[in-house]
Amino acid sequence: MKKHPTLFGLICLLVIPSFLWAQTNNDELRPVTRTYALTQANIVTEPGKMIEGATIVIKDGLISAIGKNVKIPIDAQVLKADSMYIYAGFIEGLSHTGIPKAEAQSGRGGRGGGPQAPQVKDPGSPPNDLAGITPEKNLAASLKPSDKSIADMRKLGFTAANVVPNGQMLPGQGALVLLHGDNADKMILKDQTAFFSQLVGARRMYPATVIAVIAKWRELYRQAELAQAHEKAYKKSPGGMSRPSYDPVLQAFYPVINKEQSVFMKASDIKSAYRALSLQKEFDLPMVIAELKQGWHVADELSKRDIPVLLSMDLPEDKKGKGGKKGGKKGDAKKEEAKKEDPFKAEREALEKRKMKALKEHWTQAGNMEKAGVIFGFSTLDVKSKDVKANLRKMIENGLSEDAALAALTTTPAKMLGVSDMLGTVAAGKIANLVVTDQPYFEEKSNVRYVFVEGNKFEFEAKKPAKKSDHNAKVVVAGKWTYSFEAMGQNMDGILELVDNDGDISGSITNTAMGNKSTIETAELNGNELSFSIKIDGGGQTVMIEYNLVIEGDNMEGTVSAGQFGTFDLEGERIGTPNK
Amino acid sequence: MKKIINSILFTCVALSLFGQLDKGDILIKNGTVITITNGVLEETDVLIQNGKITRIGKNLRTPSGTKEVDATGMHVMPGIIDAHSHIAIDAVNEATNPVTAEVFTGDAINPLDISIYRALAGGVTSSHAMHGSANAIGGQCETIKHHYGSYNPEDLRMVGAPRTIKFALGENPMRVHGEGRGIQPRTRMGVEQVFRKAFSEAKVYMKAWEKYNNEKNTNPKASAPEYSYRLQTLADILTGDVIIHCHSYRADEILMLMNVCKDFGIKRLCFQHVNEGFKVAPELAEFGATASVFADWWAYKFEVYYSTAYNASILTRNGVVTSINSDSGELIRHLYHEAGKTQRYGDLSDNEALSLITINPAKQLGVEDRIGSLEVGKDGDVAIFKGHPLSVYAIPQMTIVDGIVRFDINMDPADVRMDVNPEEDLPAFFLEVKEYDNCMQGVHHQHLFFHRH
Repeated sequence: MKKHPTLFGLICLLVIPSFLWAQTNNDELRPVTRTYALTQANIVTEPGKMIEGATIVIKDGLISAIGKNVKIPIDAQVLKADSMYIYAGFIEGLSHTGIPKAEAQSGRGGRGGGPQAPQVKDPGSPPNDLAGITPEKNLAASLKPSDKSIADMRKLGFTAANVVPNGQMLPGQGALVLLHGDNADKMILKDQTAFFSQLVGARRMYPATVIAVIAKWRELYRQAELAQAHEKAYKKSPGGMSRPSYDPVLQAFYPVINKEQSVFMKASDIKSAYRALSLQKEFDLPMVIAELKQGWHVADELSKRDIPVLLSMDLPEDKKGKGGKKGGKKGDAKKEEAKKEDPFKAEREALEKRKMKALKEHWTQAGNMEKAGVIFGFSTLDVKSKDVKANLRKMIENGLSEDAALAALTTTPAKMLGVSDMLGTVAAGKIANLVVTDQPYFEEKSNVRYVFVEGNKFEFEAKKPAKKSDHNAKVVVAGKWTYSFEAMGQNMDGILELVDNDGDISGSITNTAMGNKSTIETAELNGNELSFSIKIDGGGQTVMIEYNLVIEGDNMEGTVSAGQFGTFDLEGERIGTPNK
Repeated sequence: MKKIINSILFTCVALSLFGQLDKGDILIKNGTVITITNGVLEETDVLIQNGKITRIGKNLRTPSGTKEVDATGMHVMPGIIDAHSHIAIDAVNEATNPVTAEVFTGDAINPLDISIYRALAGGVTSSHAMHGSANAIGGQCETIKHHYGSYNPEDLRMVGAPRTIKFALGENPMRVHGEGRGIQPRTRMGVEQVFRKAFSEAKVYMKAWEKYNNEKNTNPKASAPEYSYRLQTLADILTGDVIIHCHSYRADEILMLMNVCKDFGIKRLCFQHVNEGFKVAPELAEFGATASVFADWWAYKFEVYYSTAYNASILTRNGVVTSINSDSGELIRHLYHEAGKTQRYGDLSDNEALSLITINPAKQLGVEDRIGSLEVGKDGDVAIFKGHPLSVYAIPQMTIVDGIVRFDINMDPADVRMDVNPEEDLPAFFLEVKEYDNCMQGVHHQHLFFHRH
């Protein structure tokens, strides 16, 4: 893809000034107390177990008490959680949360796109770090506490994540990260939780293909076995013996060889899953198969061989359900076409059927794993955070029990990562990682109201029902409005001034972050629906930004669309009448 | 339309049945049985039980529960074998180094490749899934059985087949490494040196390990040499555990590799393409090297101009075990036509011509005791034709692998893909566009010769 010249311009305009501005707003006050009591709540202590009308006390980052007759400490902030539901904080079994996207893309990239492959003198035998072989690499260096993905996952109820760096064949060590904090080292609850591996080759150097990746795996494993034996013997009695290599890449294999650490192998499609299973068998590796998307073919085998998996939370979209990608043609032309006999009708129908069947297979994967008795949690390497809840519900609609879903989010990953005594259930003495919802979590309309990460409280508003457009409504648009929306992770706000001259709407809009003012064009009011557009200069090229709003009294909400850059949700409020 | 949906439903059922790879039982009745090793038997039955041929004879009784296929008026021959193909694997060339003996196509078997089904539709039951020819010493190859319908790559692996490895002479390794990256081999002489250097290093490596293994129990101070998967594989060639299959065209280079092999005591050698094989046929026969050729494909680059359609016949008449291969997902579908061309160019007998695509490739892959002819005790791999398979009017009817029907012309639905992307927008035929050929697959992706002109 040719880089669009406006992309850079727009990002500069949108992001840089507001980023500077955001700095001043970052000094949050420390909470008055870190002791909390949530009263009268339904506490789901673990999958399948709930205490109704109970109180939970959080103190110094730990759960200090749970029960119906719990004494509330004097310094506690009491949160009335009547009719709310409290769950153990969710755990991402394998994720890139907190790893900046830019780094995520520097891995492989496609041909013609993405960053250049690093230059290397001998592509046939490149240094390990350029070849994507850095299993010794610790996570802390890659983790960015301010990365937006942490807040995104947290507001869904995730409180900890088994985070692994990006890369190719052996990107490095995983660490269990608490999703809160400003210091990467302090956020890490447990280090060296995963030996992360992918069947991904290096760019234009050895190992470039999957066959070379697997060959390299074998060679490193066998070399590490020998190196470990050598080191042991040398430690015992070095005299007269050649010095061991102390190669950090090989040393990183020792815990795997000794079965003290699991290989977390990303294997999404069915071919990768079988390849991972072959490698597991060849070396009897302790292995977790991660980001699995087509696991239904191997469910029985996974169960038989007791290999735990992390299912992808990413599901394919039902394009047909969304009306597909048709469009452009006017109604008449469409009718004309429909009249003609479609010679491929049968083929198209058969294809639709097969696609539907394939969709179903993805949707039922989790339920089928449950039925087959496979140990599974979830990984979030590929899913967009906005899809997580809908996809969980999709899996439940297609056969996954709610208890199994909750276990996959809490107890199972805690066990997999060896932290069951700290996380995974709601119990006194455990780390206060909790998610509090106004309805049972898996209900469609449930809202996360609080998330606690190690006793630190995050509060969320319940989602208001969207305003309805009504073409017969009569509203007054004239006035001075404030508005705000979030674009590419940055807050945007400003003033919208609207003038109504007998139905002829005009006005202007300012943007605080960009420090500019634009005249609104093609404004149209239809009932309570207001639409208009502005043109801004995006790096030498004009970019059209479209607003579609619904007005109700002194409130407005709707969307802002900036072409290929995306569509964002906007909210606004009237603060005065326009200046004449 | 109803028919199509029915057949799709049937395929789904059939595919799900294929999930467990049970070896099949089947009785093929009353066909003209071309055994290859024991003449042509008219009106004869072939019984396959638990995946193996158990009886060949007239009026065999059908054991209870055994599926019957009426082959009256049909020709029944052993499943066709392709000694050179690149179907059913996800990686062909690890083109980053002139020597990559450690990589193995068997690690990247792709059971979902539609080409497997197309091969079955041409009566081909086994193929040699080869590494490409970008490197002088490429990767190890896998001999596969065409169990299209199973998602498990292990089901396609022909367990017990000897290990094989791809070598390459001439312009491909010279271009990729010499021209592309300015390293050896830049010339045909350089290719020879790559072989000699690699085998010499392997000998040193073997010695070092031999020494360590001899003393490790008695000397606590002994430390193991560094393990190298690459050198270990080369050592396995020297000890005769791996058969070399070498991409080759020119006679001088063919002689060169035979000399290298003589110097290092290597005996198991099959030349692939070998377009100038006819010039050195007696030498090949004397060495005991075999040849796997195209019927009539040449002139696609400089070193392939001096070629003849008589190649297979000349090699055969000189006593060289010869096969005809495809190196292509398209040619593989009509190897029986390719074999038929040797009757026009060289007057080979029916049995000689059919041997080129059955028992001879089996010998080259070291699996002639298992496949390549219809004999009691061999694998139940069978192709059934309407018309003689060497006739231009021949139409494959049914293809059986280990006693399991994997292709049946009467149950051949439009969409036989095993994996459908639920988000795909385009009809299947737009999605299955692949690089046409084949030996150099993947090389452009690894982009090692941008300066090619």
